[in-house]
Amino acid sequence: MTHSGAMTESRRPAASPTRRALSSPRTRWAVPVVAAVAVGLAFAAPPLFASADDAGLPTISPEELAAQVASAEPSPLSGTVVYTARLGLPELPFGDVGGANPVALLGGSSTMRVWSDGGDRSRVALLGATSEFSVVQDGPEAWTYSSTDDAVVHYSLDAADAARYDELTAQAEAGDLPVQGDLPTPEEAGRQAVGMARLSSTVTLDAQTEVAGRPAYQLVVTPTSDTTLVGRIVVAVDAETSTPLRVQVWAASDTKTPALEIGFTDVSFATPADSVLAFSAPAGASTREVVVPLPDVPEDAAATASDGSAKDLPEGVTVTGTGWDAVVEASGLDVAALVAGDPSAAASLPGVDKTFGSQGAADLYSEFVPEEGSGSPMGDLDTTALYDTLTTEVPEGRLLSSALLSVLVTDDGRVLVGAVPGATLQALAAR
Amino acid sequence: MSLVETATPVARPLRGSLLRLVRSELRLVLGRRRNLVLLLGLALVPLLLGTVLFLSQDTALDGQGPGFVGRVTGNGLFLVVASLFLCLPFLLPLTIGIASGDAIAGEASAGTLRYLLTVPVARGRLLAVKAVGALTFAAAAVAAIAIVGIVAGAAFFGLRGITLLSGTTVPLGDGILRIAAVVVYVGLSMTGLVAVGLFFSTLTEVPVGAMAATVVTAIVCGVLDQLPQLATIAPALLTHHWLDFAEFLRLEPDWGVLGQGLALQAAWVAIFGALAWSRFTTADVSS
Repeated sequence: MTHSGAMTESRRPAASPTRRALSSPRTRWAVPVVAAVAVGLAFAAPPLFASADDAGLPTISPEELAAQVASAEPSPLSGTVVYTARLGLPELPFGDVGGANPVALLGGSSTMRVWSDGGDRSRVALLGATSEFSVVQDGPEAWTYSSTDDAVVHYSLDAADAARYDELTAQAEAGDLPVQGDLPTPEEAGRQAVGMARLSSTVTLDAQTEVAGRPAYQLVVTPTSDTTLVGRIVVAVDAETSTPLRVQVWAASDTKTPALEIGFTDVSFATPADSVLAFSAPAGASTREVVVPLPDVPEDAAATASDGSAKDLPEGVTVTGTGWDAVVEASGLDVAALVAGDPSAAASLPGVDKTFGSQGAADLYSEFVPEEGSGSPMGDLDTTALYDTLTTEVPEGRLLSSALLSVLVTDDGRVLVGAVPGATLQALAAR
Repeated sequence: MSLVETATPVARPLRGSLLRLVRSELRLVLGRRRNLVLLLGLALVPLLLGTVLFLSQDTALDGQGPGFVGRVTGNGLFLVVASLFLCLPFLLPLTIGIASGDAIAGEASAGTLRYLLTVPVARGRLLAVKAVGALTFAAAAVAAIAIVGIVAGAAFFGLRGITLLSGTTVPLGDGILRIAAVVVYVGLSMTGLVAVGLFFSTLTEVPVGAMAATVVTAIVCGVLDQLPQLATIAPALLTHHWLDFAEFLRLEPDWGVLGQGLALQAAWVAIFGALAWSRFTTADVSS
């Protein structure tokens, strides 16, 4: 072009060498490449640095770690918890469109916010994209709030139980809980726990790691049995506060990713604000009152605590096998009716009185049964459809098989549950 | 050089010519009838939604609806949030895609780009002026929904302290601040899309092509975000953090999550802004 020399176009070859360099099209196209690389580095770098950092903690034994956890004062904390389940269950017929809903915990990944004052006040919020399901506990009272259907459920004790709760709390603060026998010291408790676990598993410490940016020890419990579905359980314990920060349950079948994982991605040990731990039902929300019976302190509490197995099983329940291969079998259940939400079917549940002992218990049960348009935690979910989706037809009945647990519901009303393959349950049921 | 330029010799960039260019660009963007119709259409969303909810509020359908729609009848402030929520997947990307895809391709197709290049302003700056125009339109689009939403919400249902997703009720002043933060966040979430639109606009002389490509980018990102198989790349998708505006309606907004959303937009702006700059400053402009 003849007259381009008169223009102010910056791309015209000019006097300065830098300008000449920038004016070549090839160099100009390098700019977006550099930008893309810079952006990629900025997003990829922090995790790389985090994983490269070694915690450098003093070495301790599994018993010492368990003792530290047992003796740790529950500390106030707040943070974000991510829960991921890869149980190998069939894909559930709903996505996030349903909003924050506890059923979503069966599969996929869920994010929760947790606040706790270390005592009896806490809040857990299960987050949906534009919804939230909150559970708030404030001493003897608790609430759930579902933002999807603006519904509150208030759980409380009746007057007599509330008085008993206050009394127990006062006693606990004074340090004289009505427990017979000696409470084990933390060291003893830690040794006992590890000793119990060693009966059927090997307990080791894995390499130190970092969870939510905090150095942590990893306690690994590996079942000695090779017929169970559970591969190993890994608990990451914060080195400073001895608070468990992450629990992973690995299936024997998958050594690459844990089947269940729940852990903090972000945690702070400051006391949460009072407004977070308090709850009052918002105006206009539908509210349901549920009175919960306070369980009686069993007379033989100390006896069961010391040997752990003295407790009698409820009528109709048997246990086959030991350790990780144990299969619990309950008979005389009408599962189909239970799933469909027929309250009378609940009378067949083992361990439950043949009739509800109190109005509170009946209310509590109805809480977990879907009602049209109610604020139950399950929302408007069709539980029968969910049951049919999760289980498969087998000759003995219906089988739910997941990466960690199998449940067999036989046609003659028995339910077998165990951390063993479905075939084992079928063989047991056929006997 | 195949650049077609006029013969007017200009020795140095005239002072103030950049400012004049910005002013004329804003007048062009905000004065164009097509753009005004688009803004009007967006403003109608809260108005229509408010009317429908107002008329149906005594029926059994009251309090029903996805997202925040069910909360509107209880509090007019939620009309803003509900309208933004309904416009986010399609209407907002569509209008913003139209305006930003048209920015340079529109001039090229009308044959005015070569005259624009004769203004004594470097091409990089001209692109920046176009970006300012497109960003202003995006801001106007979000503001149109917000302003009409709050006015219609106040008229139909009244304004009161809002109940957060966590079930806590905060006073009206706090509520208005939170809603304002939602509006600002949604506006900032559109910056990445504007950069994408500008880049496509520098590629073609057919404005419709650039507009369609921009809208398709937003929609494809939205669809890919839903696929669990692509969970590993989901955090890099343009639309991934758009709905995080809900964070402002939680008890304690997580600034980390909001920061991630803004950082993602900044990354898209950096990459597509650089691409647009490279393309526009090296392209042969003949029309």
